[in-house]
Amino acid sequence: MRAHLDLIKYKVYAELSAEAARTFLGILWWVIEPVLYMSVFYFIFGVLFQRGGEGFVYFLLVGLVVWKWFDSSIRSGMVSLQTNAAVIVQVYQPKFIFPVIVVLINTAKFLFVMLLLLLFLLVSGKPASASWLALLPLISVQCVFIASITSLFATVIPFVPDFKWVVENGLTMLFFLSGVFFDISAMPENFQVWLRLNPMAVLIDNYRNVLLQGQMPDWWQLFWVLLFSSILILAALRVFNRFDRIYPKLV
Amino acid sequence: MDGKKVILSLKNTGLFYKRRTGFLRHDKFWALRDVSFDLYHGETLGIIGKNGVGKSTLLRMIAGIMDPDRGEVIRHESLRASLLALQVGFIPHLTGRQNAILSGLLLGLCRADVEVLLPRIFEFSELGDFIDQPVRSYSTGMKARLGFSVALYVDPDILLIDEVLGVGDVDFRNKSADAIREITKSDKTVVIVSHNNELIRSLCDRVVWIENGHTQGVGSADAITKQYQQRHTSVAAREMTNSG
Repeated sequence: MRAHLDLIKYKVYAELSAEAARTFLGILWWVIEPVLYMSVFYFIFGVLFQRGGEGFVYFLLVGLVVWKWFDSSIRSGMVSLQTNAAVIVQVYQPKFIFPVIVVLINTAKFLFVMLLLLLFLLVSGKPASASWLALLPLISVQCVFIASITSLFATVIPFVPDFKWVVENGLTMLFFLSGVFFDISAMPENFQVWLRLNPMAVLIDNYRNVLLQGQMPDWWQLFWVLLFSSILILAALRVFNRFDRIYPKLV
Repeated sequence: MDGKKVILSLKNTGLFYKRRTGFLRHDKFWALRDVSFDLYHGETLGIIGKNGVGKSTLLRMIAGIMDPDRGEVIRHESLRASLLALQVGFIPHLTGRQNAILSGLLLGLCRADVEVLLPRIFEFSELGDFIDQPVRSYSTGMKARLGFSVALYVDPDILLIDEVLGVGDVDFRNKSADAIREITKSDKTVVIVSHNNELIRSLCDRVVWIENGHTQGVGSADAITKQYQQRHTSVAAREMTNSG
């Protein structure tokens, strides 16, 4: 277990530094990429469509930052057994570590971007509120949620490679249903009930309340997301465990 | 092998890979069909057979990377068997030092153990100051040297070697071959896979001969390599006369 933990930590560090070393601007890309990504959406929805009014920039930024973490982790984590195929057929390692490493790499990048977002909020005159402390549990719950979905998909894709395309299209669809562009609470009641079955919608809504409204998160909602994620993680671990020495034949 | 302990046994093991044969259709390709033998503590066991006969799959099964689909691999003690895996997990943009650490961790060591081994790994690799340069600036030979040095010093209980004698330039090739010879002479348990009869005979105590996924013979290195030689020279001769 000790050796696995050491491996996970070092691999996360190694991948991050390799990524920084690979490009001319290196670590600067961690700033440039999300800023570009967010500017595109701001331009389309804030400027072209004139949506939302005054607070819309902040509203959109929070949604995008939180969504991006989820989206990137799943897209690269669900195929992590394939991307590490060369390693998997040469040495024995428990397979769950591969999606976990991807999630942690993306978490590190997210934390960095979140820090920039907080700075941006402060600089543009949003007062820091005590509710910001609630980011800690909020981020932790989302991290567990992301790890659960990523691992679960990673258990499936070696068996059914086509599932990757299903997930990629599903993510694009979910992006529009998670309330990145609109306020879920402003939807009609009977819609809301359905939209709130999506943990990402719940999480994004809570982030906004914490960061922009100075409110505490809805702890019950977080609890349900955590419970749901924990069950999925246990399921994923069982599948990984069951097929631990079968996966090398498939990748 | 009187008085020596059996540490691992294969009993009628077989393993297949799924092959795509058409739209939504697969068949089973049996890489190994029926292989049985015992591995004794401290011996050097050779596995001989033609290319593509499932030798590498066999090593992966012994290493515990893949489970057999038929029969069983019995581990009499919980020992770490690992492949002499060269350059495993290397990332070109990282330095030699970082890659050595990463490789060591992937091979199952914890960080503290890797750190202890690093000076010896660096010395054996003869990379000098290059160790802190990114691996993508290395020549093929330099990469091979680093990869071999890490794999050599990780030192598992059972060392599995897949045709890797002689990596890098001529000098290092001799040095790495000597290092392997040294290990085969020691009390370490080693399994070597090759289609090179001469190499197997010179390094191994006992030999397992695999033919068409079956164990064709198990016995002393001299006896089995002789039989193997006879079979394959006569087959080759027959093919020559047929085609001629």
